[in-house]
Amino acid sequence: MRRETQNILLILLGGALLKISFSGLYLRYVQKGLLPLLIAAGAIMIGLALFAIVRDIRRGQAVDDGHGHGHAHSSRSTWLMLLPVMAVFLISPPALGGDVVNSAADTNQTQRSRNLLGELPSGDVIPLSMTEFVTRTAWDESGTLDGRRVRLTGFLLRAEGDTFVARLAISCCAADARPLKVRLTGDVPALPDEQWVEVTGQVVPKSASEKNSWVPSFTVESFTPVAEPVEPYES
Amino acid sequence: MTITGEIRSSKRRSGPPRLKITSLEVLCGILVLALLFQSRLVDLLDVPKLRTASTVFVAICVQAMPFLVLGVLISGAIAAFVPAAALRRLLPSRTSLAVPVAGVAGVALPGCECASVPVARRLMQQGVAPAVALTFLLAAPAVNPIVLVSTAVAFNDTPMMVVARFAGSLLTAMVMGWLWVRFGKAEWIAERALARLEDRSGGSRWAVFAESARHDLVDAGGFLVLGGLFAAAFKTFVPVAWMQTLSGQIVLGVLVMALLAVVLALCSEADAFVAVAFSALPLLPRLVFLVVGPAVDVKLIALQAGAFGKSFAFRFAPATFVVAILCAVVTGVVLL
Repeated sequence: MRRETQNILLILLGGALLKISFSGLYLRYVQKGLLPLLIAAGAIMIGLALFAIVRDIRRGQAVDDGHGHGHAHSSRSTWLMLLPVMAVFLISPPALGGDVVNSAADTNQTQRSRNLLGELPSGDVIPLSMTEFVTRTAWDESGTLDGRRVRLTGFLLRAEGDTFVARLAISCCAADARPLKVRLTGDVPALPDEQWVEVTGQVVPKSASEKNSWVPSFTVESFTPVAEPVEPYES
Repeated sequence: MTITGEIRSSKRRSGPPRLKITSLEVLCGILVLALLFQSRLVDLLDVPKLRTASTVFVAICVQAMPFLVLGVLISGAIAAFVPAAALRRLLPSRTSLAVPVAGVAGVALPGCECASVPVARRLMQQGVAPAVALTFLLAAPAVNPIVLVSTAVAFNDTPMMVVARFAGSLLTAMVMGWLWVRFGKAEWIAERALARLEDRSGGSRWAVFAESARHDLVDAGGFLVLGGLFAAAFKTFVPVAWMQTLSGQIVLGVLVMALLAVVLALCSEADAFVAVAFSALPLLPRLVFLVVGPAVDVKLIALQAGAFGKSFAFRFAPATFVVAILCAVVTGVVLL
């Protein structure tokens, strides 16, 4: 592959990283904390390519960078760098959703350690993350959630006649997503699958057990359809 | 085609003018076609499984790129600012003694596995013995502070897991280093990987730095993408749920978790959170998952094949796989 083409590929790839960083779309793929690294990586890629381009222009032609014999081999694989570029600019894959939750075996695997079960905040309706809700239903034996009105945010999912509200949690990138889901009863929203909702209601006490893979039941009192949050995953 | 050819040939200052399609024209062609058929492409991918696969693919690439960039910057810095003689002075002259030093030195590279491949190759080019560079390659992604801290956070009920992971990974790296001293053959490594850098007089040190980093990035980037493709395909189409039901037995569990570590190609900073989620399993198979993952996975095999050649990768990866399982089991039995 020609040096000029490599430079263009680097600029495109760096540009793709910067694009998802500044548009906020990176949150579909990786966790929030990676943002500075993404911007730095994109800028460095573009910088390295520009440096080479400026150098070539000054010299009047593309110089061989001293590894001539290595190029014939590496040139073919370098083309693959186009794939993420095209995926980002043309397809812009959506955040993971129901497909992952349905095919996962490790739903609602929370850690006792995570919860350090503190007191719930006071107030009529407590907004809780799915992670905290599921963790409390699985590990908290004192039943701090019982009788409290809670609001959860997630997307709808239907399987085996039941309706669930589900969400994914990631620790690094979407490849390590862990699914969380809660079975809905009561005023179950009649909305299409994958629609994001805020559901308000109460946990059915002692409904999460090892037998149902720690999926608690939740009595819905009211719900509102909402747009997909900017941060689709919990962390 | 004729027109672009003419423009190209008139632009070129040296060489005879002739009509030739170079990679530049191909690139433009691909981009134009992709733009024209964008909506068709989007429709084609509008199947749940394919959507998931493309998201996971982009996620793996996006997540790994910053670490690859970190790796090529360090590699470029070594090429430009660290003379080969200084490296030789730093390491014990006997290779078998330098191996453990390189393993412990892995603590200093705070990144995941993508960063260590370009650095290891550069070390070899600077005259560091292959066994020593390979030990560093295996140790760095698993024993650095960021990975250990994230393991401690994930397994905060069982702090011994951190110690066991550190010991198991370091042992794997050192055993592989010593095995290479004993059995490794230099001709397995592609010639281009070991080729010494030519002394580029004329360019400043900063130019050497930037050119080396750029060269390594272009070289490794494609292989990283290839690894991401494999990992996304495995993650989406291999029935992980079914594999996990098989893992009730301890022996089968160890093997299944080792294979899962290879095909899922998780970042070593995140794999502990996944391992902790396999809560149906005993600790030992989960330790195997944590030790095998940073040492050998599909993304890493692709990067190694790119950096050191296929004949190296196809020997080194299976050997590492076996050694990592054994080391993890030994440390697990002793420590957990």
